[in-house]
Amino acid sequence: MSTADKVRINKLPTGVPGLDEILGGGLPEFSFNIIAGAPGSGKTTLAHQIMFANATPEHPALYFTILGEPAIKMLRYQQQYTFFDQAKLNRAVRFINLSQVVLEKDLDAVLEEITKEVEKASPGIVVVDSFRTVVRKALGGSTEVELQSFIQRLALLLTSWQATTFLVGEYVEGEIRDNPVFTVSDGLLWLYQAPERNSIVRKLQIVKLRGQASVPGLHTFRITPDGLQAFSRTLGLAGQARKIPSRRRLSIGIPELDKMLGGGIPQGDSVLVAGASGTGKSVLATQFIAEGIRQGDPGIVVVFEERPQEYAERAGSFGLDLKTPRHDGKLEILYLRPLDLSVDETMHEILAAVQKIGAKRLVIDSLAGFEMALAPGFRADFRESLYRMITALTGIGVTILSTVEVNESFTEFPFSTYSISFLTDDIIRLRYVCIDGQLRKIMVVIKMRGGNHSKDIREYEITSKGVVIIGERLTDYQGLITGIPERLNRSGNNEERPHKVKAKSKS
Amino acid sequence: MSLPESRYLAQRLLSCEADASKNSETSESATLRVCAKLRQPLITLAGVAGFRSLLSRALALAMVEVPSLGGVQVAADGSLQGLDDLELQIDKDQAREAGVILIAQLIALLLTFIGEGLTLRMVQDVWPEAAFDGRVSEMENKA
Repeated sequence: MSTADKVRINKLPTGVPGLDEILGGGLPEFSFNIIAGAPGSGKTTLAHQIMFANATPEHPALYFTILGEPAIKMLRYQQQYTFFDQAKLNRAVRFINLSQVVLEKDLDAVLEEITKEVEKASPGIVVVDSFRTVVRKALGGSTEVELQSFIQRLALLLTSWQATTFLVGEYVEGEIRDNPVFTVSDGLLWLYQAPERNSIVRKLQIVKLRGQASVPGLHTFRITPDGLQAFSRTLGLAGQARKIPSRRRLSIGIPELDKMLGGGIPQGDSVLVAGASGTGKSVLATQFIAEGIRQGDPGIVVVFEERPQEYAERAGSFGLDLKTPRHDGKLEILYLRPLDLSVDETMHEILAAVQKIGAKRLVIDSLAGFEMALAPGFRADFRESLYRMITALTGIGVTILSTVEVNESFTEFPFSTYSISFLTDDIIRLRYVCIDGQLRKIMVVIKMRGGNHSKDIREYEITSKGVVIIGERLTDYQGLITGIPERLNRSGNNEERPHKVKAKSKS
Repeated sequence: MSLPESRYLAQRLLSCEADASKNSETSESATLRVCAKLRQPLITLAGVAGFRSLLSRALALAMVEVPSLGGVQVAADGSLQGLDDLELQIDKDQAREAGVILIAQLIALLLTFIGEGLTLRMVQDVWPEAAFDGRVSEMENKA
């Protein structure tokens, strides 16, 4: 059969940002779906959102309420959401209470009542909330065969009348196997809500969807005053071709460091700047973003530990003007409020900002702050999440510079506490070193996936102009990366260590 | 919307029904007719039990102001029982005032639970011939 011969299945918008992408384009028209989940997981809100997104006076929505949340209260709460359009009520959206029929009569009477309303209104959308109540009632006085027959007749009726249907119910996962509702349904959307220490993590899964490919797996979602917002695991980039970076070298804004990097950072790379507290990671990151703006590359800075205003003011103290590009729309400083974030939400905000200003450079300052901003449940997946995030962003041609704080050690030379160096193309290491009775700073380029780089260890200072590399490579010392170097005696004998520094224990 | 405003709306509805009854042969009181007309959409929305609960609560609140409403009851199907008898026992103005207070309390409950927008839409659907455009407070000012 050729593509032209196949029936075309229209896809309805859900009205839920991010969900259409997860569903593979939207909800299949005339499908018979179940929205399942525990109490408080957002089932009713999702059903309302879908209903208001699609209901029109020509193809209205019928919302049958059955013994669940009283309809008056449902209206009271649901109208708080911005998607709730009062003008649609009783014109495009009708609520019908079937509690009495369910309580007093049998399944045939329920079907008869639904049939009567469906034939009268010819709806485009039908919601039954809670269908679980119907099933419970049915199981009290009917056989399983009768229940299955009822569900099939209901599905047949609603599909024949060209309605897209949603049965809302409180189910637990173990019921999928035996419940005839799940067998008959075309789509099954499962909403989860789980406490993770002091946070609540909401996730959804398209367990089943006939006729089209959805994005598998669990996707986080949030309920805001606008209703549900879903964050696809593919970050909305599914099917997008990976941009092949031009391999243009981007200046980091520190000429000597550019030389050490072999001419700058290859465009589309992920760079990790690792160092102890106070070594200038953030300053270096700010110089990278400011240099980009100077060269016409819009940028984004994601901060977790300070407000954008403070960040911009601190940059100003190094002679870097971030206020003007912020005002001109060339720079976004995203302050992602701490706690309870999922990586996907963070990514959604970053990607939206990238698309909004056409960003070419991104700074994440810092990975430790990022991790702390996540709900505890997401921290366990931090490495995997970082991988997806970095792959997604570099895939669309953004060059990322992330900072990471490492515990300074005088016995080893760690790059990151996260063991994520495999995620980065390039690593710049900053560290303290004890020389001539002073705590000075050195930097070295550890790794550049894209080519050769300087092996030099260079001393630098943080001045009013930011990070400034001073002098040539340090050739008079041995063991610089230990932090406790020994001055080399060019005549052949090494001098004694200038200071005896007690080695820090690993914490 | 405050109770005075829901009272104003109740008066409007009762007037609508009083006018309508002049053109028909019904002897049913305007209060009963308003209740019966509100009953249908509210039963569709909230079920018989839901409507009955609302009307019972409205009656209880109205009884504070009009103790003679104590003889009125809400039947299982949500209809008012005993109001006809009460209206025969008291004078016309008192009967009308009792009706205004009862309907005002019912509207006030709807306003409390589902808000002004949805309440007015529902009322407008039941009495399409009446002009319920804009907020009740605005209507009151226009009147």
